[in-house]
Amino acid sequence: MSLLRAHGVRKDYRLEGEPIHALRGVSLSIDRGEYLAIAGPSGCGKSTLLHILGGIDTPSAGAVELDGVDLSKLTDRELTRLRLTRVGFVFQRFHLLPVLTAGENVELPMAEAGLAAPARRARARQLLEYVGLAHREQHRATQLSGGEMQRVAIARALANQPPLVLADEPTGELDVVTGRQILDLFQKLHTDGTTLVVVTHDDRLAAEAGRVAHMLDGRIVNGVDPSR
Amino acid sequence: MMPLALRNLARRPLRSVLAVGGIAVASAMLLDMVMLSGGIERSFERMLLGRGYQIRLSPKGTLPFDTEASLSGVSRLLERLKRDPDIAAVAPVLGGSIYAHVGDSLVTLFGYGIDPTAQPLYEVEAGRDLGAADTSGILLSRASARAISALPGDTIRVLGRLDPQIGAAAVKRPLVVRGLVRWLYDYQDQRSVGVTLSVMQRLAGPAGADRASLVIVKVRNDSVAPTVAGRLRAELPRIEVNSVAQLVAHFRERLVYFRQLSYILGTVSLIVTVLLVATLLTITVSERLGEIATLRAIGVSRARIVHQMLAEGLALTGIGAVLGVALGLAAARYLDAILRSFPGLPAALSFFVAEPRAIWTAVAVLALTGIVAGAYPAWIASRAPIAVTLRAEAT
Repeated sequence: MSLLRAHGVRKDYRLEGEPIHALRGVSLSIDRGEYLAIAGPSGCGKSTLLHILGGIDTPSAGAVELDGVDLSKLTDRELTRLRLTRVGFVFQRFHLLPVLTAGENVELPMAEAGLAAPARRARARQLLEYVGLAHREQHRATQLSGGEMQRVAIARALANQPPLVLADEPTGELDVVTGRQILDLFQKLHTDGTTLVVVTHDDRLAAEAGRVAHMLDGRIVNGVDPSR
Repeated sequence: MMPLALRNLARRPLRSVLAVGGIAVASAMLLDMVMLSGGIERSFERMLLGRGYQIRLSPKGTLPFDTEASLSGVSRLLERLKRDPDIAAVAPVLGGSIYAHVGDSLVTLFGYGIDPTAQPLYEVEAGRDLGAADTSGILLSRASARAISALPGDTIRVLGRLDPQIGAAAVKRPLVVRGLVRWLYDYQDQRSVGVTLSVMQRLAGPAGADRASLVIVKVRNDSVAPTVAGRLRAELPRIEVNSVAQLVAHFRERLVYFRQLSYILGTVSLIVTVLLVATLLTITVSERLGEIATLRAIGVSRARIVHQMLAEGLALTGIGAVLGVALGLAAARYLDAILRSFPGLPAALSFFVAEPRAIWTAVAVLALTGIVAGAYPAWIASRAPIAVTLRAEAT
């Protein structure tokens, strides 16, 4: 059963007057519990595709369905709510709030979702334990290493127990050893049943995924069966 | 939300401190202008009502002590007023220049002729008050006591109706200093003296016979004062009758430029506050666009982003306002001391009156200003295109 489906997704925009065709009719289907890597060179459209799949950008044409919900039919408020509860994002540059502690960063989406303070504190502690950072709960984001920040970001992505986690170059800012730890954590997530879509230009990371969609010039060139 | 706002402001401590300093100065100015705009009127009203006398009778077309004109036939007028059932007390006052010898020279004094049994003009500070029919006593202000080197118990020679050509006085009178008093309507260091009305009338000569510059009336019930004033005005068409409210209105007309000045300066301080807060928050938003786009990406609502930015604007203005109130009160005290020393103005008159209402008004206006100033940056923050911003952050 597909969790996420994209049909003929196109994304066109203008950059300094020049038309850019970032996506040229991408179709793909991702099953529940699947671990998909979208690989390809810089500028091939993988991040744009990830943003559209996660509802933070809109396609110029085509449609995306998450759990049977057509994202194009949702209002901005509904899309925001969907991102909060149904999708977890992990970014290349972690994007933690520097003024908050690790625990507070993880609590943030739960607070937005309206979870009571004691419950979200307990879950944040649980998630930090899951990513191996329970001892860093009270540390400010600025006091953490790059790898630790990314693990906190992963814990934050899991805060509201979303069925889908999207990661954009999650090891892009990390050294080899730290990057390995993040890959191991993604494997753990996958084993625990989370559906994962990871954008990367790192073959090592792509090789970890169950399936790889190679992109080139705004198209998927192999590896994904759109009919699935 | 507010704790996060404070933590965000602490990210750039120097910038935030400078902004808070600017807001504090602007807030102080606003508070002072709010105090100035209404304070002088309230102070004037409080001063006039200080002894509970609500109505002033003066020569037609004049305000009390505005000119040297005086009311004639005062004894008949006083009798008539005292018969009025609504009137509790009547205080006639005759003002004019009198003189005292100090060695070979003469010192000019301002003399009040009063009825010591009904007087709203002074408070005894040392010695004792005049008796009801005391024709040999005199009261001195501290400034006049200093000028003529006299203390309670001393006898001084007072001169009236001085011929300016030859310096000779038509009336001379030895008077014993009964006490030192504080005249409620005097300007700072005014050399004033008080004698009973009959003595003052004699010192003024024929021009002062049965005359008074002013009659001050105390009505039994505050609430009927305007009605009684209206009735007296109708009954005494040749006399100017003013209630305190009317005098305050006249005063307001004369000092309209003070209010205009305070409005202009208050508006300027608000504009400065808006610009300061809006500039700071706009810079903050530009610096944190990536962070804001991330928050939006992970599902934080536009409303939450807007509230967060407004909270930061409110926190800035809140801290600035608290400091500004303290600064404004200190500045008001200093400025008030300067303005009160202006010649011709009653020393008891305050230009800046620190009333809770004025302070709360200033704080409320500032809080609103903080919210207004945060509105534009908040709007920019909430409208940041998520994908474009994240893409720009990644490169």
